[in-house]
Amino acid sequence: MKYLPLVWAGIWRRRSRAVLMLLQIASAFLLFGLLQGLNSGIKQAIARTHSDRLYVGSAVSLGVPLPISLLPQLKNVPGVKLVTPLVQFPSIYQKPGQGIPMNGVDPEAFFGMFSDYIVPKAQVEALKNNRTGVILGSTPAKRFGIKVGDRLALQSQQPKRDGSNAWVFDVVGIFEVPSQPSGASAAIVNFDYLNDARLGDRDTALLYIALADTPAHAPAVMRAIDKAFANSSNETRTQSEGDMIASQIQRIADLDLIIGGIVGAVFFALLLATGALMMQSIRERVPELAVLKTLGFSDRRVMVLILVEAVIFCVFSAAIGLGLASIILPAARTLIGIASMPGIVFASGIGFAVALAIIGGSVPAWRGLKLQVAEALAGR
Amino acid sequence: MTFLKQTIALTATGLRGISERRGSSLVTVIGVTAVVGVLVSLLAIREGATIFSGTTARPDVVDVISRGATSTAQSVLSRDAVAVIEDAPGVKRAPDGRPYVVATTLVSVDAIKKNGKRGNVYLVGFSPGAALVQSNVKVIEGRQYRPAVHEVTVSDPIRKMYRNMNIGDHIVLNRTEWTIVGVFAGNDSIGDSVLRADAATVMSAFNRNTYQSANVQLESPAAMQKFKDALTTNPAVAVEVRTSAQSFKDNFGQLNSLLDFVAYFVGTVMASGAIFGALNSLYASVDARRREIATLRAIGFNSGPIIVSVLLEGLVLALPGAFLGALVAWVLFNGNVVDVAGLIFKLTVTPRLLVISIFWALTIGLIGGSLPALRAARLPVATALRAT
Repeated sequence: MKYLPLVWAGIWRRRSRAVLMLLQIASAFLLFGLLQGLNSGIKQAIARTHSDRLYVGSAVSLGVPLPISLLPQLKNVPGVKLVTPLVQFPSIYQKPGQGIPMNGVDPEAFFGMFSDYIVPKAQVEALKNNRTGVILGSTPAKRFGIKVGDRLALQSQQPKRDGSNAWVFDVVGIFEVPSQPSGASAAIVNFDYLNDARLGDRDTALLYIALADTPAHAPAVMRAIDKAFANSSNETRTQSEGDMIASQIQRIADLDLIIGGIVGAVFFALLLATGALMMQSIRERVPELAVLKTLGFSDRRVMVLILVEAVIFCVFSAAIGLGLASIILPAARTLIGIASMPGIVFASGIGFAVALAIIGGSVPAWRGLKLQVAEALAGR
Repeated sequence: MTFLKQTIALTATGLRGISERRGSSLVTVIGVTAVVGVLVSLLAIREGATIFSGTTARPDVVDVISRGATSTAQSVLSRDAVAVIEDAPGVKRAPDGRPYVVATTLVSVDAIKKNGKRGNVYLVGFSPGAALVQSNVKVIEGRQYRPAVHEVTVSDPIRKMYRNMNIGDHIVLNRTEWTIVGVFAGNDSIGDSVLRADAATVMSAFNRNTYQSANVQLESPAAMQKFKDALTTNPAVAVEVRTSAQSFKDNFGQLNSLLDFVAYFVGTVMASGAIFGALNSLYASVDARRREIATLRAIGFNSGPIIVSVLLEGLVLALPGAFLGALVAWVLFNGNVVDVAGLIFKLTVTPRLLVISIFWALTIGLIGGSLPALRAARLPVATALRAT
């Protein structure tokens, strides 16, 4: 601990160079923090999912509609507690850019299985009794100042039977999702109404959501559902909630591979940069190190001093970059639905910083260890 | 003239210094290489898409979709509507009277990739007019699909990316077995991401009764207005007519801007890191020559040539990174196929990307050289000469 001032002085020996190096390391870790934060945020969202909620889609491909006639059969599959059909219309409120997805479901079953969606019982009852009712997510409700009792007009590309694209609902409730704030973004409406009123694809569901009686039974129930419809004209493929999100993400891009590639290139360049800079710094300080040895510092202690200096500097710079990333990341929250940078990203970032310092500093530290006092002082 | 001579002399000494400070110079080169390599690799994804849009954006080919649809996937065209389109004025006709109209129906189907993961591809059914309108699409291996039997042709990227997609293989889609009979090349609006088959066959296999969109080749680009007016004033159909360029923008514009955003965002953060590295390297270069520069100033060299020479040194350090980075991206990724949101992109490193990488590298070099150049120019002569 008493050597801290010495280490600190070593770091800031050439102030402008140290500041530039700090910025270079910080920007690399900023990128690392953003990319990994995004990636593990998505993975955490997957891990948080409820394994007892099962998504029944067409075996052809997700998005190929299934007929509504599957509903009674699904209800009869042993182990299935609740089932709701789901149709989803992308729609906009007032103007483009203000999207509110319209989800047509069986309200009682839907809110029964999405127990993490907080809504008063009476409001679910009200939605059941009002065909054109809607329970709106708290996010758009707050953003647009919509209250219970208001009318909600949404524009969707899905036309109604009367040819218009305007869907008007009575707001009978507001739901919140405390565990995942970005989850409360949809407008939950009656499937029956949406199905009757829409022009195309009538009497079909995009998919069904089923609730298994216990999470432990979920895999068996999934198999039972797919077996029930095997060799029918509507074969199904049932996925758990986590699988569902994972396969959606997988459809967009192979994130692990892309992020791994970018982070690899960044760190490779950074490793060379820190290594070269430390070499240069040690070369300039040869006389100083020789003086330290003359004063009685052992070879090993000089080596450790150099390494500690590198570690402190890299960790300090990396922390700045990761800190910046954790400030920026929540801004992307509405896009991807993660609230903050996961701690694991911060921890692994610091781990990488230490590794960077030790690998980059090993050659200079070795030089410090091997330094011959007489030669070094004579060289001056 | 003196300016030029002084600049050349100074730059030459600066460049000789590069080999003396091999370590830090190499770091700058590799730093720029990493930036350019990542940037070019990411941009190459969408460059592949840009290339196939370019070949299809013909002024005489228009896209017809249902009114209100924002993309082909949301459009619905009945058989009657397609018949109306085929009879519309302005449509090019073959000598035997067949209209240059191809109606398509599109189904997203799941398939298993070679790495075992599930992906999705589009099975597109084409009406017989495909042979006329898409004369650039050729079967390069095997033979063309036939109607009424379940046969498809695949693109080369799909064959490489997915299992069981070789000629003679069978795949099961919606409980019907389809045989791969050929490989096609050439591009239509979804390019290389599709399996091609006969429209009527696809529609009967997937219980469909409607097409999604129609591609129409006109007599000439000038016939566009006539054709458009005839359809939009016809109360029997509710359709919109778009140029193929517009159609591409509507279908893929958002995806393209997202890919661009990711590439340039990552590129910018990396480039700022490289700029700090270049600054360090050039400050070191200037510092190493403090006495030299001060001496030159003392004997009458102007600060102009000093600034220019440091900037030039920055450019020289950055430029190899542009070529190396583009080369690394080309060697590693050119021709690879990636799947983004069900569309297959063939990574393509084009001359345009090389120009972009040179531009980025030079920017990094210039910014990295600017502050050290100013320091060199402002060097107090007396102090610098006294320095050890």
